This record gives sequence, C-alpha cells and structure tokens, in this order.
Amino acid sequence: MSSNLLQYSGYFLNGALTTIWISWLGLLLGAVIGALVALMRLSRSRVLRLLGLVYVETFRSIPILVLLFFSYYGLALVLKVDLSPFVAATLSLTLSASAMMTEVIRAGIESVPRGQWEASRAAGMTARQRWQYVILPQAVRVIVPPSVGVYIMVLKDSSLAAIIGYVELAKAGLLVRDATGQNLQVLAIVAVLYFIINYSISLAGSALERRFHIA
Amino acid sequence: MYTFSMQAILPYLSALPEAMWMTLSLSLLTALVSGVVGIFGALLRRSRLWPVRFLLGFYVEAMRNIPLLIVLYLVFFSLPALGMRLDGYYAALIALTLNSTAYMIEIFRSGLIALPRGQFEAAASQGLTGAQTLRFVVLPQILRTIYAPLGNQLIAIVIGSSLASVVTVGELTAWMGTAGSASFRYFEAFVVVAIAYLVLCQGINLLRVITGKLLFGRLEKAMRQ
Repeated sequence: MSSNLLQYSGYFLNGALTTIWISWLGLLLGAVIGALVALMRLSRSRVLRLLGLVYVETFRSIPILVLLFFSYYGLALVLKVDLSPFVAATLSLTLSASAMMTEVIRAGIESVPRGQWEASRAAGMTARQRWQYVILPQAVRVIVPPSVGVYIMVLKDSSLAAIIGYVELAKAGLLVRDATGQNLQVLAIVAVLYFIINYSISLAGSALERRFHIA
Repeated sequence: MYTFSMQAILPYLSALPEAMWMTLSLSLLTALVSGVVGIFGALLRRSRLWPVRFLLGFYVEAMRNIPLLIVLYLVFFSLPALGMRLDGYYAALIALTLNSTAYMIEIFRSGLIALPRGQFEAAASQGLTGAQTLRFVVLPQILRTIYAPLGNQLIAIVIGSSLASVVTVGELTAWMGTAGSASFRYFEAFVVVAIAYLVLCQGINLLRVITGKLLFGRLEKAMRQ
C-alpha cells in the first residue's frame, strides 16, 4: 500500500508548496488591504470609521466557501471574464484575511501610547517620519505574533479552494485518492501534512514572539 | 453590462428559510455538544495522569492544525468503512463537533487557569459532589472569562457549518449553489446568502451583548462603586 502511494509523493509535495504559497499571497494582500481598512477604522471621520467596521464585520461573517463560489462562478458572469481557480481562490483568501488583518493591525497601532504620537509631533516630525521612526517600529512588534495565527487560519481555509478545482494540497490528495482508490490512507497523509506545516509555523511563531518580547 | 435582477431567483427564495434553519440547528447542536464535552475535556486536561493530559493536548493541536474540510472528508469516508450508513448530516455534525470541541476545551481551560486550586479543595471539603462543584463553584466563576470567546466560537461554528454543503447537507451555502446554478444568477444568490450569514452572525453578536449586560451589568455596577 505505502509503496504504491510513495510514487505520488511528488504530487503531495507540490500540493503542499502550492498551499503554502497561495496562503502567503492571501496573507500579504490581506495585510495591505487590512492596513488601509485599519486606518479607516482609526480615522477621525465617522463615515470612514463606519465603512471600515461594515467591511470587517461583512467579511468576518461570510464563510470562505461562499466567497469562493461567488468569485469563481458569480464574478465570471458579472464581469464576463473567466476567472481561473487560482485568481478566484486568491481573491477569496485575500478578502477573508483582510478582515482578520484589519483587527490585528488596528490593535497594533492602538498599542502605541498616545504620548508617542504627541512627542513625535512636538519634536517637529513630519507625518511620514512619525510613522516610519516612531509608530510602525513599535506597532510591528504587536502585529507580527497574531499575524502568524492569521496565516495558519488562511492556510487552513485555502483547503477549500479544492472545491473549485484549484490543485493545492487537499485537491492533490483528492486526485491521488481518485487514482489509487485508497481513500482513508490518502486523507490521513493529507491531514498529517497539514498538521506538520501548521504546527511548524506556530512553533516558529512562538519563537518569534519570545524574541520580540525580549528585544 | 450585467443587469442585477432579484426577480430571477425569486422562485428559489421559498427554500431559503429551511436552509437557514438547517444552518442554525446544525450550529446550535454542534455548539451544545462541543460545549458540554469541552468542559469535561478542559477538566481532564488538568488530570494527574500524564497520558490523559498528553492525549487531550494532542487532540486539541491536531484539530487546530488540520483543516475542517479534511476532518469532514475523513469522517464522511470512514463512516461507511465502520459499517455505518452514509449520511452527510451526521458526518458534518461529527466533524464540526470534533473541530469545535478542541476550541471549547481551550476556552474552558483559559477560564479554569484563573480559578485557584483551593476552590476545588474547599468544595471537596464542604462535601460537594463533582456535579455540584461544577454547577455552583466552577461555572459561575469562569463564566465571565469565557463569555466573549464563547460567543466568537459560536460564530466560528456558524461559518464552519457552511462546509456541510460539501457533503450534501441542504444548508445556506448549498442553497446558494442550487439557486445559483439553476438560475445562473450566482451574484444575486450570493447577495442573499451573504445577508443571511450577516444576519445570523450579527444576531449572535447582538444577543451576546444583551445577555452580557443582563448577566454582568449588576456586577460591573457593584464593582465600580
């Protein structure tokens, strides 16, 4: 049995790398959007704050599977373009990650004490200097550790891209299963691979967190 | 240009309440079972026997690191192997509960950490039974700590229940698939389902705030004085 499945190890490996890559892409794009929405949520304008809140609550409440169906089947009909499974999956993961990252980044910026803002203003810094030298270096230390948690969430969610036919780890497993008929063995291998990937990331995350606390 | 037309999916709306109820009932049942098992799991994680502690710790880590979809497939395809009849609803219920129980254990554990060991010893010396200790000593004290994460977990269950559509359970996400593919109006179906999930999740949020005020409002007032 195992020798039979061993010949498919290349598929599993490729699937695992694709999973890691697309989740990373979703996390990065989500962080960019999340930073913008976090600024909206911290803005002085009530309208922007409300819009930011609605954005976060919306994409926190809609399941990723619904987003996937929508971006794969719905957007194709609306925009009259054929979105590839890759684009649809990246879009869905990005939207969902951006809602989580908004809250993480907002908490990071809010963790910088008021006095730091006032002091940098009193020192005559421009807005750019203030962000670059005072706010961001301090906020990043609060932002990075929970971002690792978001990455793991996105990585787990990325398995749903298998439903729209994007060949990542879960879909690669399902294809091998269809080829070999070894249902439970293949699923067990996929589960173990996900466990190894995510557990390694969370171990790396805690190591990072410890370093940030000492520094 | 795409013309947005709610008219097109009107015939499918009659099936929506049933789908919404399926999502809600599946979620509530999952929350109930995983909540009860979670309490005992959290207590067992403090067991004096290290194999018990290790096994529970391993279970929690496994469930937190393996995607729900894979757990669902494993349950769905191993049920027939065990000679049970294949039923998507029970497969979804079992998978969701397995997943949620791990998070519940962690939530209750975080509450128990704040509870001094002396409380258990005092309860035992007063002659309280295990159930009485749980009901009158443990739960009232940890409720405040676990209240907010418990609400988040309930929302996570509702969102997670969307995966039941993969194993042919007719809940909200499955409704979107059916209505969308039959009418070719995925966009409209998406808008309807998105609003339905928003209503469910924000409804839970609202309920949490209200019951929180009722439960802890007096306490908070007393603490401020």
